[in-house]
Amino acid sequence: MKKNKNTILLLSSILLVIVILITAVWMKIGKKSPSYECTNFAMGTYIQQTAYGKNGEKAAQEAAKKIGELENLISWRINDSDINKINSAAGSEWKTINPKTTQLLKTSLDVAKKSKGAFDPTILPITSMWDFGGDNQHVPSKTDINNFIKYVDYNNLRINENNSSASLKLHYMGLDLGAIGKGAACQEAVSAYKEKGADYGIVAVGGSIGIYGSKPDGSLWNIAVRNPKKGENQELSIGTIEIDSGFVSTSGTYEKEFTENGVTYHHLLNPKTGYPVNNGLVSVTVVCDNGALSDALSTACFVLGKEEGVKLLNEYNAEGIFIDNNNKIFVTEKLKNHFRISDSQYSILNNGVK
Amino acid sequence: MRIMVLKKRDLILILFFLLVGIFLIFLFNYPQQTGIAIVEQNGAEICRFDLQKQNRTEEINVGDKYNVRLKIEPGAISFIHSDCPDQICVKTGKISKPGQAAVCLPAKISVKITGNKKTHDGYTG
Repeated sequence: MKKNKNTILLLSSILLVIVILITAVWMKIGKKSPSYECTNFAMGTYIQQTAYGKNGEKAAQEAAKKIGELENLISWRINDSDINKINSAAGSEWKTINPKTTQLLKTSLDVAKKSKGAFDPTILPITSMWDFGGDNQHVPSKTDINNFIKYVDYNNLRINENNSSASLKLHYMGLDLGAIGKGAACQEAVSAYKEKGADYGIVAVGGSIGIYGSKPDGSLWNIAVRNPKKGENQELSIGTIEIDSGFVSTSGTYEKEFTENGVTYHHLLNPKTGYPVNNGLVSVTVVCDNGALSDALSTACFVLGKEEGVKLLNEYNAEGIFIDNNNKIFVTEKLKNHFRISDSQYSILNNGVK
Repeated sequence: MRIMVLKKRDLILILFFLLVGIFLIFLFNYPQQTGIAIVEQNGAEICRFDLQKQNRTEEINVGDKYNVRLKIEPGAISFIHSDCPDQICVKTGKISKPGQAAVCLPAKISVKITGNKKTHDGYTG
């Protein structure tokens, strides 16, 4: 009798262990939804996507397609794009364009007005002379800049939402949506994830990020902020932002720059002067619930500098991180608790404005 | 003194729990790929390296009109040369953690590190 009892006890404990094991395996496999990663090049930059769920692959492919379509509408380099049509007709006629382009121009004009021209979508006459990252990048002559800076003026961009058309008032004017397009592309991707039923996902178009949905384990999305300094012994990131949703964009001097006669020139140009902004900032990161806005605001805030930049962010209910060349970081109030420094070379400035 | 003799049943029991233990260790450690570097051109994979298994430093020629060369070393990978005008790829330096990427935009060549232990969901900047 006693022996039998022991055997039953032994068998049931073995059974219990097996049940626990199966549960462990099930938890391990079950808690992960399938993920689909893809990378490609568009909008003149590198695009990385990770979409989760059984519809992840379809969603990521749709996002890549939508970003391609957006590029064909808003890149000034592409023949027959809406922007190319408007630029070619500058100083002469209005052009009918896709409502998506009109909306993006409307957002551009809004940021241009509120930033008093620190962000200006009509900056092409100047950016095309500098040609950052292109085969012909060089410092333009003072005469050229003086001659063409007068054609940079967002007040001469007119849009008509009723019939979806736009025009540039003066010949030689030109639109360049490079400072808003990558954020707009993130928005396209996020809307594709929603449309195709991905569970959750993240897209990076260059340095702009779009987040869709939330992770099943309830943890926040963590976005690394790139270290403005580069080199062998530098960490790749200076810290991490943790957010549950939204869009993040960064404008940094290091993205595109070149050195001529010992002077380094970066691509963040002041639309008023035609020269790179020199206000001590090295990068500005903006977090916002709209992709195009986060992108345009990061450029506008860089040009405006910290004090004026923070005021602009307030108008859009956006948050930001300003990094200067003394390794000091200013973080806006609401973002402070969601940002963590990981590089000890940097420190947070607390006695800022706001 | 009496010598304790293990019964056959006890031995089986010990063996069983030992196996369970080993199985659990494997379950929670595998597959934790912590550093596979994938080299792509235009989003299509060219080659991949297991940085964890890499035990020597070597250079590989990816080619393209920009003569892109990569340096692979234990635990890290970097662009060491490109004829592109901006040199952003070379300036990015070494990448080593899952989720990190380095890109030569003009050549459309990218290197990303995959693994299921990503330290970050994304990079801005």
